[in-house]
Amino acid sequence: MRKVLLLLVLILGMTMILGAGGNKEAEEGPVTLVFWTHEDPNRTEIENRYIEEFQAENPDITIQRVTNSSSKIIELVLTAFAANQGPDIFNLSIEDEYAYIANRRVAPVDPKAAGYGSLKELEAAYLPGVLDPVKVDGKIYGLPLELTNWCIYVNKNVFRDAGLDPERDYPKTWEEMADVSEKLVLRDGDIITRRGFDFRYPYYLVGMVPMVEQLGGKLISDDGKTAIVGEDAWIAFLDYMKDWGPNGRNLGSPTYKNARSLFNHNNNDVAMAHTGLYQQGRIKSDNPDFYNSGNWMVVPYPRFENAVEDVAAAYYGHYYMVNGQSSARKQQAAWKFISYMLSHGEEYLQKVNIIQPTKALMESDTFKNMPYSDVFMQDMERGHIVYYGENSAKIQELIKQAVESVMLSGVSSEKAYATLKAEVQELLDEE
Amino acid sequence: MMKTMRSSGLLRYQNRWGAVFVLPALLFFSVFNFFPILNALYTSLFQKKVLSLDPPEFIGLENYRYLLASSSFWNSLRATMVFTLGTFIPLLIVSLLLAVLISQRRFGRKFLQIAYYSPAVLSSVVAAAIWLLIFDPRGLANQWVNYIMRTPGVDHNWFSNAVMVQIAAMLVYFWKYVGYFVIIFIAGIAGIPTAMYEAARIDGATSWQCFWRITLPLLKPTVALVSIMSMLQCLKTFSTQYLFVQSGAPQAPINVITMNIYNTGIRDHRIGRASAMSIILFIIMLFFTWLQFKSMKTDEVTY
Repeated sequence: MRKVLLLLVLILGMTMILGAGGNKEAEEGPVTLVFWTHEDPNRTEIENRYIEEFQAENPDITIQRVTNSSSKIIELVLTAFAANQGPDIFNLSIEDEYAYIANRRVAPVDPKAAGYGSLKELEAAYLPGVLDPVKVDGKIYGLPLELTNWCIYVNKNVFRDAGLDPERDYPKTWEEMADVSEKLVLRDGDIITRRGFDFRYPYYLVGMVPMVEQLGGKLISDDGKTAIVGEDAWIAFLDYMKDWGPNGRNLGSPTYKNARSLFNHNNNDVAMAHTGLYQQGRIKSDNPDFYNSGNWMVVPYPRFENAVEDVAAAYYGHYYMVNGQSSARKQQAAWKFISYMLSHGEEYLQKVNIIQPTKALMESDTFKNMPYSDVFMQDMERGHIVYYGENSAKIQELIKQAVESVMLSGVSSEKAYATLKAEVQELLDEE
Repeated sequence: MMKTMRSSGLLRYQNRWGAVFVLPALLFFSVFNFFPILNALYTSLFQKKVLSLDPPEFIGLENYRYLLASSSFWNSLRATMVFTLGTFIPLLIVSLLLAVLISQRRFGRKFLQIAYYSPAVLSSVVAAAIWLLIFDPRGLANQWVNYIMRTPGVDHNWFSNAVMVQIAAMLVYFWKYVGYFVIIFIAGIAGIPTAMYEAARIDGATSWQCFWRITLPLLKPTVALVSIMSMLQCLKTFSTQYLFVQSGAPQAPINVITMNIYNTGIRDHRIGRASAMSIILFIIMLFFTWLQFKSMKTDEVTY
């Protein structure tokens, strides 16, 4: 019995030693970079080509590109990093990525490997402020794959069907948004069969916090110590949402299919949707006739009539990052490869409809000729980057609970505000 | 004397090889079941963030103290208990009744077994996706209920009302697993000797009396097995509630412990606190299993 146990212990020990040896980085010879990203067929097509081209130019570097659904990849990257087995290159939304910077899990950009003379030169290539979310202590920890903001897409057919002139009657204020939606909505009893507009409910930080800011409120105070600032603004916003929901004017609800996915099909079930420039590519592939019909347009994010701040929807970004635990050689190769991919900004815009916020792209004819790119650009100038602290996902969940409690459960705006403030404050105090 | 010594030597030899054969299973269980439980128990004593490279800070029972004072955790306990009681009791009763009805049929038995069992082979994600379409305000659920109740155009708020969303989650789970437990009960019923029913019939027993006096008492071990299995599955429920919330349903009414563990560990990165929650869930499951074993006294069944 003892011999058997001894044998097992020996096998286990050998496995551990061999396993540990397997992780040792070679200082010379070929390098394999593991690159995890979210699924996007259009992007996969061009990035696979970039990989082939890059590998041909750099025969000692091999790239393994692995895709997963955008919801799944968040936990896959997290668990891989928790086990110190993270990919060499990855991208997530900045709200999810910021924790990797805060916990020193990612490597700073190597400007030389990325093809820039210096960090200053790299920064100068991008629009002002877009690298701020990934800049800590003068170092930059990511390069933007995309920076996205949302405007309002309008289906002109639905407006005309309701006897409205889309060019003249599209909503400029949130008050008009509710009134116009009232004219557009169709119901079978309580059940809405056609919505005018509806919000992007899971994305409260992007689409709804700016509404509060228009009214003078804030998510977090400038000194970062006080949460849910501006009682009147928050309560006015919650009142608006209460009025929007099934217990108010019944114009929409989080429980209906999201308006953005219905919009492309032009089925007379939604007139307006809140979404990004990328939607144009999706309309084109889902419904080319509608795309080419000229029966849709994009208008700016509305503001409240009594707004004290002119704020548009927040923009969010996906940044390519490099694992800080990868060897220096791999990190260098990774930044070289990322830089190679990002040197095709115009193709990303044309084929995937995503904006890489470089000055060169913004000034290019390709960007200027994109339908409604001016509307998106002007709204981006009115907006700011989404809140991306370590607790952003939890804060978003708490705002969701507050909004849903007033919209669906009949909780008063004052009570929902008080609960939200207490809970977010507790989160801030815990940090 | 010599014979006894030989047989004890043989016994030792057999025991030794028995232990060798059991060892892989024991090792597998230790690595994949026992170690994670111990690791969770250990982690629950630390303030640990998933991504942090800093050594975790030992805080003793602070995570447990925090949870016991947290309204969110108590709400999760409530949501889990409501879901478990609201699902496993109907599951137990209906699957037993369906099994008895199917066992008594002469024709179509196999077809009914397959029909009831088929939802169990679907992944929870697919099942929830099907029901998301049904519970959509314009979906079949509103249409059926309005047709039956003659209330055209009423939205029953399957996903927006706190009570309805809990009922919706129970319905999905019930639909998915009732067939699975029907199959187990049918196997249990098949094990009851038919001579008992024949003797009862000769003595003039009705079907109802046969069910209460023969089927149910002799099915006690199966009832115990099904009730424990279904209760444990209900306590561990996750994917239905998760997908409902992803589709816009309010989280608080269906924020079961497993979802709270997931959100605390994966979304908020607080793995120490999530581990403490999973240890509490483990203790709850252990307690209810023990309670059911005690109350069932399954070893008393003899033919």
